[in-house]
Amino acid sequence: MNVGRRIWPVEGDPLRRNPSRAAKARPAEPGIERFMWYFMRLSGVVLVLLALGHMGIMHVLVQLTGQEINFAFVLERWGNPFWRIYDLLLLVLALIHGANGARIIIGDYVVRGGLRGLLIGILLAATFVWLLLGMFVILTFDPASAPANIGPLS
Amino acid sequence: MFRYRLSWAELAWLGHRLSGVGVLIYLFMHIVENATLSFGPEVYDWTQTLFRNLPVRLGEILLMAALVYHSLNGLRVVLMDFWPATTRWYRPLTYAVIVTTVAAMIPLTLIMITPYAPWGGA
Repeated sequence: MNVGRRIWPVEGDPLRRNPSRAAKARPAEPGIERFMWYFMRLSGVVLVLLALGHMGIMHVLVQLTGQEINFAFVLERWGNPFWRIYDLLLLVLALIHGANGARIIIGDYVVRGGLRGLLIGILLAATFVWLLLGMFVILTFDPASAPANIGPLS
Repeated sequence: MFRYRLSWAELAWLGHRLSGVGVLIYLFMHIVENATLSFGPEVYDWTQTLFRNLPVRLGEILLMAALVYHSLNGLRVVLMDFWPATTRWYRPLTYAVIVTTVAAMIPLTLIMITPYAPWGGA
């Protein structure tokens, strides 16, 4: 297929892989790589709604209505289970989507096996810790006790 | 990364990576920032005051641009991966993603910059 000045894909040239795919062509063999290929696309579509919706509320709607993001704002928001589930879903999907993207990028640019393994190990460990931290904050937030300055860690 | 001649196609791919990494780095910081919620209102409200200045707001506008671009370009990738026939429209779709991102960022920037703009009166 001739696309303008250039023919895609350029077979066998990793520097000129088909850039219509953000990462790689779908892995032929079933397994974790193929699962993640589907996960990136499905979570991506969901994240378009969740992340853009989140930004639209926090940065556009808050600005247009002259509000300010502070503890009282979060208190009112997280008093509603809908927004807590929304934020939890956004946290989990965005972090795993982002971490897998970073893993693919590390794999593309770091050729040495040992260093690549180390960097991906650090990435996955950090992702796991940050995922737990984020889930802890959302799940332990208690609208009843929090206003009196007695958060779970205060 | 820059060993080959860049076309819009490769810029679209490179932009997807850069915006993705940028949003991921922000996400790690954002989770830490929001963890101050667990220390009660005083700590959280003090932390939020650190984010109310022009440099941070410009960063948030950049974050918005990264997210809008990554979303639109990602939808294009999904479209072309699941409906290969649409690769025929590879170039127009790529241009549409770039044009739509720029067009969306004009009103979004004007809204987000309001507190620091002459018409905002902060």
